[in-house]
Amino acid sequence: MLGINQFPEYQVPGAVQHQFNPYENNGGSIVAIAGDNFAVIGADTRLSAGYNIFTRNHSKLFQLTSSAVLASCGNWCDSDTLTSILQTRVRQYSDTHENKEISLNAIAQLLSTMMYGRRFFPYYVSNILAGIYEGKGYVYSYDPIGHCERHTYRAGGSSSALLQPILDNQIGLKNMEEKPTIPLTVDRAVKLVTDTFISAAERDIYTGDGVKISIITENGVEERQIPLRKD
Amino acid sequence: MASERYSFSLTTFSPSGKLVQIEYALAAVSAGASTVGIKSANGIVFATENKQKSLLYDENSMHKIENITDNIGMVYSGMGPDYRLLVRQARKIAQNYYMIYNESIPTSQLVQRIAGVMQEYTQSGGVRPFGVSLLICGMEPCPTSNKMIPLLFQCDPSGAYFAWKATAMGKNSVNGKTFLEKRYSDDLELDDAAHIAILTLKESFEGQMNETNIEVGICDANGFRRLDPATVKDYLANIP
Amino acid sequence: MSIMAYNGGCVVAMKGKECVAIATDLRFGLQAQTIDTNFEKVFPVNKHMYLGLAGLQTDIITVYKRLMFRKNLYEIRENRVMQPERFAAMLSSFLYEHRFGPYFIEPVIAGLDPKTFKPFICNMDLIGCANMPDDFVVAGTCEEQLFGMCETLWRENMEPDDLFETISQAMLNAFDRDAISGWGAKVYIIEKDKVTIRKLKTRMD
Repeated sequence: MLGINQFPEYQVPGAVQHQFNPYENNGGSIVAIAGDNFAVIGADTRLSAGYNIFTRNHSKLFQLTSSAVLASCGNWCDSDTLTSILQTRVRQYSDTHENKEISLNAIAQLLSTMMYGRRFFPYYVSNILAGIYEGKGYVYSYDPIGHCERHTYRAGGSSSALLQPILDNQIGLKNMEEKPTIPLTVDRAVKLVTDTFISAAERDIYTGDGVKISIITENGVEERQIPLRKD
Repeated sequence: MASERYSFSLTTFSPSGKLVQIEYALAAVSAGASTVGIKSANGIVFATENKQKSLLYDENSMHKIENITDNIGMVYSGMGPDYRLLVRQARKIAQNYYMIYNESIPTSQLVQRIAGVMQEYTQSGGVRPFGVSLLICGMEPCPTSNKMIPLLFQCDPSGAYFAWKATAMGKNSVNGKTFLEKRYSDDLELDDAAHIAILTLKESFEGQMNETNIEVGICDANGFRRLDPATVKDYLANIP
Repeated sequence: MSIMAYNGGCVVAMKGKECVAIATDLRFGLQAQTIDTNFEKVFPVNKHMYLGLAGLQTDIITVYKRLMFRKNLYEIRENRVMQPERFAAMLSSFLYEHRFGPYFIEPVIAGLDPKTFKPFICNMDLIGCANMPDDFVVAGTCEEQLFGMCETLWRENMEPDDLFETISQAMLNAFDRDAISGWGAKVYIIEKDKVTIRKLKTRMD
């Protein structure tokens, strides 16, 4: 980080330097897959910093409405603040819209605006929003300053580099000459998410302990939890 | 060092094409205590005289037979101090090899490299050839099958080396070899070989042979080891 | 930017049933600029052994040449074919000789024992710390992606055809998510009696 140490010619003898680094990486990985009429989103349940594990059962999933779930990881206190404010804004929306629930794509836009509002002191988080809108599954992913992009599948967090090519291959069917015609069902999506997390937990020390999966369909949100390796 | 410029090798050709320094070195070997080495089907035996010049010597502290690695053994005829330098070099070469390849040095490789050291001392400036001939033995896996094969080499002061089935060096080596030629056969067992080795020594042994004035070393699939005096005594008991 | 990622590129090796596979991408670049799309990072060592080197291109070539020098000397001096274990030990000690001025490469070795045909794979860091696992080894700028792919796709006791498909899919999908690896790939399947070499067509962006 840029500081007085980079400019020794300006250093004054006896002067005490104070520094504050507001960012900490608390690890964690998130994955989301959009199907025709559903969306599946998963996050591991480890909260860590450096070589320490703070807790093994920590949810990075935030249900915002009956058809939208946000997964957020990176700097945990930023994630916590951001999601609290977002949940408040979601509530305010329904209060000012005669109890109408905010739609998924409206949340997507809202989240982008909120994050870009902190352009010069960003929330240090990796976000993925999943849900259904007008009966179809959607996944949105964000960078820390609010760039929003729609995908059919996405991995984020500390294991994103490990997970994304697996999804490219298994769902995007990349690099295949004869593409298999297996339909993407809820069961297959859940199984894939679980498998990718098992792989990530093998190699990434910031991912493990367990994976929480939310399945979003017309009928609401169903939650599942699967244990992962704890070392 | 300025004097290095004039530090020529002491080993130079005589007009007849001989390197007399090497011949003198071989003479030193021939004057040394006798040593016998025999290869059998499942191992190798070394036997050597280790006579003390005075009753006052402590006979348990100095040895002529030495391990180079767990699987390779060495013994000599000739000058003890020269031998110890070569043992030190050999161990260094062996450990260096292990450090690089993570595998024990093959016996033939060790012999080649020790012979290289000995050759260097015949050509370098300011040094003399070694006054020793070495016997080096080891067991190693056959290159074509998984069987362990025994190997026995002799290394001379010139840097020349030979592979033997059985040989004798030092005092009375000619008689020793003649004796071995009569006794040796290809299907010897290790115990027979030990027996013959001690017998060969005894042929020219002056005075009473006992467990303190000879040394015996054995190499088999478990590695190389020098026998303790009690075991040597057992072998001696079987000899008429 | 790390000097290890200056030229880009990656290598992966996998164990199968009585066979091993090693694969390389074909890009050679200077940071983001692609210079050549035919630079192979896997080299033959002997009949049953291949060496992959990821990292700085100039060091890749130098290390390969210096290793072949040492390996040829060994084979001629000892009159026998070098085993992969010996080659790995030699490479490790060679790299550690340069502990304080290292070659900027990460090696991957794949081979069969010349006598027993036992599969062998190994990788190292740039100063020769060796790792010899039972499954797969990866190196290069898309190491993380390769770990993810291999960890998911690798199975025990794969037959050569299966192994080829697995290593190819692992490498292709991994380097498609890395901007400085890819631009074609070459896969070597090493079996007891033959080595199959295939060049793969991939996306070139």
